Amino acid sequence: MQPTSSMKEEFLKKWQMGLEIVRPSIDNTNVSERKKAIKLSADVAMASLRKGTTCWSRALIQKSATEDNFLVRQVLSGIKAETLINKKLTKKVVCHRKIVRRSKKISRRKSRSASEEAAAKAKRIVKKRTQGLRSVVPGGEFMSNDVLLLQETLDYIVSLQTQVNVMRSIVDAAEAEIER
Amino acid sequence: MSSRRSSRSRQSGSSRISDDQISDLVSKLQHLIPELRRRRSDKVSASKVLQETCNYIRNLHREVDDLSDRLSELLASTDDNSAEAAIIRSLLNY
Repeated sequence: MQPTSSMKEEFLKKWQMGLEIVRPSIDNTNVSERKKAIKLSADVAMASLRKGTTCWSRALIQKSATEDNFLVRQVLSGIKAETLINKKLTKKVVCHRKIVRRSKKISRRKSRSASEEAAAKAKRIVKKRTQGLRSVVPGGEFMSNDVLLLQETLDYIVSLQTQVNVMRSIVDAAEAEIER
Repeated sequence: MSSRRSSRSRQSGSSRISDDQISDLVSKLQHLIPELRRRRSDKVSASKVLQETCNYIRNLHREVDDLSDRLSELLASTDDNSAEAAIIRSLLNY
């Protein structure tokens, strides 16, 4: 599982498309506006790679649409842009936690062997770590299922690697050219 | 939906299936993260893998941020005739 060259190519194309659209912000002399526009177009490009098939990409699309609706519509054109931007994400995990707490209270009343205790403790630690993951993966707070969260994380990482890979190539090449 | 979840967790059969799925996904993560892939030993705990995954994602975010900064500096030239601006714009297909 690695960024493929076709993923990188598509990311670059979509990013270039986005940069063209946010050009007014790029040509703006304000440094922070410029950086925001560059980053936003990179994120929209990355999210569009998945064409709305993953939870993280849908969450990222919705978040980006609040910053620049037009940009998202243009880059996603043809991939059900309208529905992706407006589709309601499912309930947040908070509700689920209350139910887990309630069922934990019930199970504690039963007696447990040492190995069961160890397994339960390991599970609790894993649960804590997955909470950390939910905070860094877009839309993580809506992923109540741990299996889903891990699948999404894997895909998100490969996409991030693609994004970083291409951006790094461009920036390195540009800086090298300038220094000549 | 909530009642479905709590009844499912009491059935040992289905929770065993998802435990296997989870350990499979965790091992896939382990191979994806450079920090952990370098370690020859297979015995990295799930907790460690997840922790390193979080750190790795945060690092990637920081890198994107830094690259956006650098690119923003490169595009700072408002002079359309400068050679530097032309180079960058051609790299970006402007």
